[in-house]
Amino acid sequence: MKKERAASGRQAGRLLRWYPKQWRSRYGAEFLELLDAEIREHPWSWRRNLDVTWHGLSARLTSAGLTRHATESDAQAGARLASAGCALAAFLAFGASMWAQLAIGWRWSEPDTRATYTAMFVMSIAMLLVCTLLVMGAIPVAWRVVKAVAHGNSRFLVGPSSLFLVGASVLVIGSRHFENGWPGTGGHPWSAQGLVPGGVAAFAWASTLWISSYWAHPQVLVHFPAAEVAWMVLSPIATVCAVVGGAKAIRRLELPHRILHFEMQLARVACVAMLALLVGSASWTTDGGPGPHDLFRAGGIDIAALGVMSASLAVAYLAVRRARPALAGS
Amino acid sequence: MRAFGRYAGPATLILSSLAEGSKHGYALTKDIEEFADVRLAPGTLYEALSRLEGQGLIEALESDDRRRPYRLTATGAEVLRVHLSAQRRVADLGLRRLARGWKPA
Repeated sequence: MKKERAASGRQAGRLLRWYPKQWRSRYGAEFLELLDAEIREHPWSWRRNLDVTWHGLSARLTSAGLTRHATESDAQAGARLASAGCALAAFLAFGASMWAQLAIGWRWSEPDTRATYTAMFVMSIAMLLVCTLLVMGAIPVAWRVVKAVAHGNSRFLVGPSSLFLVGASVLVIGSRHFENGWPGTGGHPWSAQGLVPGGVAAFAWASTLWISSYWAHPQVLVHFPAAEVAWMVLSPIATVCAVVGGAKAIRRLELPHRILHFEMQLARVACVAMLALLVGSASWTTDGGPGPHDLFRAGGIDIAALGVMSASLAVAYLAVRRARPALAGS
Repeated sequence: MRAFGRYAGPATLILSSLAEGSKHGYALTKDIEEFADVRLAPGTLYEALSRLEGQGLIEALESDDRRRPYRLTATGAEVLRVHLSAQRRVADLGLRRLARGWKPA
């Protein structure tokens, strides 16, 4: 009997993990009791397991601000903003990897098709806009963090802020170091040629070096310098740390309504810029051609990147769209 | 009830069950199974409970036990009354029309 109770308790505990932390802290104990009773009554039920899984995932989406909620609040809008920020970061990483590839190729030789030319112009303007919006959006959030620290009310921000600072520092320092490893980006005879400054292109290339098809070719990867392979492993971890830290800080800050409204306006414009970047990338991938010396050849990794960018844009759009009635209504 | 959308079914059942008095999750499941012959799965039940609580139609009561009971609020009672009356009007109309002259084709 005791064994059965322990087993049902364990199964209930496993099922509860589908739900987000916030939900568990409110309903967890009573939900566990109900699950425990249900499991003892009907030990095996696919319907129950599927139901809990489905509603747990649905609660996670709600917690991330990606579904409608019965009671909209600024906290809900903060969650939506954090989700939009994460989606934007994922989009930017994959978009930057494609853009850097083209920008560096251009330093060696000009593209020979109109599609690559146009794509590069559109992508460069969109990249500039997205980065500007990101900085504009980060300023009020950083200001709130500084204010919280100044008022001695920042204990709840220590974890997320540290995670963000460590991740961002590793990413910037590492990218600055590895950007010098590309021959076409610094001090090369052709470095005056190109659409964007070589250093910017090289930084984008180094920070997204891990988005590479070489992962599928380990026999080639083993011939890479060990430091470069280590950076390919470390840089995505640093990126994730910076993004998760930033998102957690946004959620914990409880930003005032007017800042949330401002951030959502920026996110809306960012969605348009993201769409432009996606269209530019897709146009190059499908229509650009390999260009001189194969410098502009699109590969499987670029198709995969387009998929990630489309999914990220969809998530960002969903978060922004869901926030609109809540912020407009209050 | 319009605000419940696809949760209108579980919401009506839960509010109707709580109209009798406060109940915790498992008691609600049992009561609903008894009077409606529907067994609400745990995820569905708590999705509806959290929505109803968010809308102020039910409230959680303090409890020493881990099983927390829920109670119908005054707003919840009024919303349920309006919804059930509308359902009764539809049911009465359908039954009257059936009785008046429906014949198999």
